[in-house]
Amino acid sequence: MILDVLRSIRTSSSSSTTTTTGGRIILQSFGFYSVSTSKMRDIKVKSDSRELITSSDEEEEAAAQIIESVSIREKEISSSSLSVKSTPEIEKKYVHRVYDAIAPHFSSTRFAKWPKVAAFLESLPCGSVILDAGCGNGKYLGLNPSCFFIGCDISHPLIKICSDKGQEVLVADAVNLPYREDFGDAAISIAVLHHLSTESRRKKAIEELVRVVKPGGFVLITVWAAEQEDTSLLTKWTPLSAKYVEEWVGPGSPMNSPRVRNNPFFSLESIPETEVSTKEQKADNSPFIGLESIPESEESTRELKETKASIVEQKEESLEALKKSQQEYFVPWHLPYHRAEVSGASASALATGLAKKDDRKGAVVYNRYYHVFSEGELERLASRVGNAMIVDRFYDKSNWCIVLQKAALNQD
Amino acid sequence: MRLITHNMLSCNIKGVTNGFPLRIEAGNVIEKEVDFNPDFIRHMFAKLEWKALVEGARSMGYAELPEDSPDAAVLESDESFLKKLHHALLELHLEEGALVCPETGRKFPVNKGIPNMLLHEDEV
Repeated sequence: MILDVLRSIRTSSSSSTTTTTGGRIILQSFGFYSVSTSKMRDIKVKSDSRELITSSDEEEEAAAQIIESVSIREKEISSSSLSVKSTPEIEKKYVHRVYDAIAPHFSSTRFAKWPKVAAFLESLPCGSVILDAGCGNGKYLGLNPSCFFIGCDISHPLIKICSDKGQEVLVADAVNLPYREDFGDAAISIAVLHHLSTESRRKKAIEELVRVVKPGGFVLITVWAAEQEDTSLLTKWTPLSAKYVEEWVGPGSPMNSPRVRNNPFFSLESIPETEVSTKEQKADNSPFIGLESIPESEESTRELKETKASIVEQKEESLEALKKSQQEYFVPWHLPYHRAEVSGASASALATGLAKKDDRKGAVVYNRYYHVFSEGELERLASRVGNAMIVDRFYDKSNWCIVLQKAALNQD
Repeated sequence: MRLITHNMLSCNIKGVTNGFPLRIEAGNVIEKEVDFNPDFIRHMFAKLEWKALVEGARSMGYAELPEDSPDAAVLESDESFLKKLHHALLELHLEEGALVCPETGRKFPVNKGIPNMLLHEDEV
């Protein structure tokens, strides 16, 4: 299931191109994180190569800034009058609207049953009532024919697909389940929590899963891992600065200016060098020009070679650092044109800048927001939920997974 | 929406303490046959809020369930009771209608068998 997504976004570009492009994006991203916007616009091409070669100290600082800005945002949200149950803009635009637009296509790629999830469901006693919160296209509903499944999802188009298959489903929010407590025998949350943009919402969703199952009931949760088995995938994803996650508001925002849009860093996929005109970049004096476009006349050949050599070294470190510290991403979804026409939602998505066309691939490209989980993060979050115990934890196919058991009645 | 689901659904608007059970406004109810599994029905019985089920069934046009929750003996031996319970829980579908919060009167629509329980910004 997760592999299905990963396969669908993999391109056939050569690994060296991907690595190089990935390297460039990673270095650019640290440049982006560690300086303010106004400073970046003043950076000239010549000094770029120096600025872009960050030391590992600077990289760590940049990483710390990302983490700090996330926790600041969390504090802002918790101290504001906004309820943890209010849906943040980034989720409305880059989760809800996207899934609504891609639902049938998404569903058609969601057929492989993940063995670990199947095993969990099959281990439950006959006649169990199983609650699937964030059931998507209902892939797991009815997987164990001796059990009764009730699914919910925030996407009506996805729920419609489940309903058409005869499943018992409703439209609801995983952060605020419209269920009375203790009803379910078990609950599952498969690839859902990584679409929640704050820690408090992710924790709330876990609390909801525990609340709605009976004492002694089991909960299985799986989420995408920051530690992806296929690291080349990370280059297909757009890492987000937490600061800009909030400011990503649409057509009026500075993030949507033509200069920004033509910038490979802000592109929705790792577009190879040939797609962005080098001339255009030079003329722009953009701070994000790749090393390949540094004019020979501005650097000695030797200096340039040294620069490139150390960049290659730094790129490996950066990839590691990025993997460790960066957990907020846009992951592209390519909706083929013929599918987009049927859905109809893509016209407005394109008009508002929510999606963009890729004629080369014949697809409308949407971005889905992900907070991928680092090792131990899901456990730490779940351990803060009072009346449940972790009974299993594992990493499987680039997902962190956990099984919780709700406290039995006679225990605390 | 089946009554098995209705028996679990509750209004989760902020501040509401008495959001269960939701009153059913039945527009269109259909029946779909489901294989009878007595063990499952017995297992379900322990979870049910009986009054909510009886009232919900009545709203959907089915009045065969006893007002009072039967005791364990009935569950073990009385197959006709189990079949009525099976029919009420699994075979009646609310296709069109609404679920109404007993405390606030808020209506959650049911269309094509799918309840929409999403709250508005100001209800959260």
